[in-house]
Amino acid sequence: MHLNKTRSWYLEKAGTAFVWLFLIVACALVLIPLVFMFTASAMPARDILRLPYPWIPKGIHWPNFIKGLMGPEDDWIFFRNAFNSLVVAGSVSLFTVLLSSMTGYGLAKFKFRGRTLVFMLIMATMMIPFEAIMIPLYMVAMRMGLQDTYAGLILPFLANAFGVFLMRQFLITFPDEILDAARIDGAGEIRIFTNIVLPSSGPSVATLAILAFRSQWDSLLWPLLVVQSDEMKTIPLYITRYMAETHSDEGIMMAVAVLASIPMITLFLTLSKYFVSKDGLTSATKG
Amino acid sequence: MRRKRGFSMERKKALWGWIFVIPSLLFFSAFSFYPIINAFYESFFNRNLLSLRPPRFVGWSNYTYLFNSRDFWLSVQNTAIFTVGTFIPLVVFSLILAVFIMSISRFRRFFQLAFYAPAVLSSVVAALIWLLIFDPRGLANQGMNALLGTTGVNYNWLSDTFMLRLSTIVVYFWKYIGYFTVLFVSGIGAIPHTLTEAALIDGANRWQLFWRITFPLLKPTTLLVSVMTMIQCLKTFSTQYLFTSAGAPTRPLNVITLSIYNTAIKDYRIGRATAMSILLFLVMFAFTWLQLRVSRTEEVTFM
Repeated sequence: MHLNKTRSWYLEKAGTAFVWLFLIVACALVLIPLVFMFTASAMPARDILRLPYPWIPKGIHWPNFIKGLMGPEDDWIFFRNAFNSLVVAGSVSLFTVLLSSMTGYGLAKFKFRGRTLVFMLIMATMMIPFEAIMIPLYMVAMRMGLQDTYAGLILPFLANAFGVFLMRQFLITFPDEILDAARIDGAGEIRIFTNIVLPSSGPSVATLAILAFRSQWDSLLWPLLVVQSDEMKTIPLYITRYMAETHSDEGIMMAVAVLASIPMITLFLTLSKYFVSKDGLTSATKG
Repeated sequence: MRRKRGFSMERKKALWGWIFVIPSLLFFSAFSFYPIINAFYESFFNRNLLSLRPPRFVGWSNYTYLFNSRDFWLSVQNTAIFTVGTFIPLVVFSLILAVFIMSISRFRRFFQLAFYAPAVLSSVVAALIWLLIFDPRGLANQGMNALLGTTGVNYNWLSDTFMLRLSTIVVYFWKYIGYFTVLFVSGIGAIPHTLTEAALIDGANRWQLFWRITFPLLKPTTLLVSVMTMIQCLKTFSTQYLFTSAGAPTRPLNVITLSIYNTAIKDYRIGRATAMSILLFLVMFAFTWLQLRVSRTEEVTFM
């Protein structure tokens, strides 16, 4: 048997060992900043920038979290800002799903003149990056009186070309017989859509909803443009504001970072399959 | 009789088609088509956000101003450095990680999720964490000193031009490495086992397996990932914005989106900012078009 243990056998073993070593080191490097965020959030500022970094906090330093929630002016504005983020990300995600599936359904299952043109036009918007139209969009929002409102934060993101594409691709394979059977049974078109089409689009809808929610939770540039008052700020703006005003206290900053990440981490731990699904990934360029 | 009914059914269906499509068409018109057309228009005017005077038609002068402006070319250069400096390591390392992950038999899911974890954080949080790591007393200096055997050297992560650009690249690399690794993993997963097994039976080693089988079949995925990364990098904003507002020098980090933002919001020069947006749009349009072309041909068929 030991005749098999030739040079190539040892090379193979060495290769496997190298692969494991590489992956473990890379994994550690990627996770270190996350570990840093969590451990530092539990430490008083003077421990965080000590040489060398202590890594293990001595218990949780609660003032970080309390001050992080109270905000720079001690008015507990974190809760208001977190609420804003939830309202914006929640509504965008809900209405994006609704609009995209309506449009995708219309394009997939109804024949009308101009259908191809409509589809091409919508797909063409994928080539318009948000960053390129943000200034004109900002002017539009100002003219419509949308600055500093929820509508201003929500409306520009409801029409989502990728969403339409995703839903159309999914619904095009939806069996026509089911729809026709429902029509013969006397169901109206709206009921067919809400009671048959929507409930059976589960995975696509979930991918799209999570995608929309994430990109809004993360959004910095547009809120920077439309929001003026501290009350209307979203979490990313809360963080930038906090950073500008209390740049010195690292413990509070990390506590705020942890607080801001809780919803996403929770979603990730419970619904990770929708985060790393192929549909959700290839769409990133539009997010 | 029957014929007539069929005809009206068809018209009814066409009507319903429009009913389902029109709401989002309205949104696309207001928030995509109108702004981009308006952007072309505005880029020929000298609108000022604060001025009450009506904007004046200035022809191409916003564009000629930009082409003669050293700040504009600096921001183009910054964006180019960031894009090239980020996308090459991202593509190379995510490919390596994906190949390695697929070559082990256990913990595949674990490694994918672990590498993906930073992508879950918002970009603001990512920038915040790294700001502290790059602090002169922070982990980055401690790590470098331990690695290079020096003591107490400050590598100026947040002040030296080169290091500052490197820092933003590190943040971006860290945040997106897992994301592209997962894309490559699904690309490799699509390669039929029969192909790799046949190669192994023929006596191919791992090295040959990668260069002869995996990599050629992954070319479409690699191309797609490369274009996607480039598009992402061209639009980078959050990291640079956070770093500069935390006090880092602006010039090395002034990428094009940051420059558009500052020109419009701090200098109130809407016309000039829109002209910059149009230039960014044209570049990204080319890349996105390329991406759509690439993703259409992405599906490799395995006979």
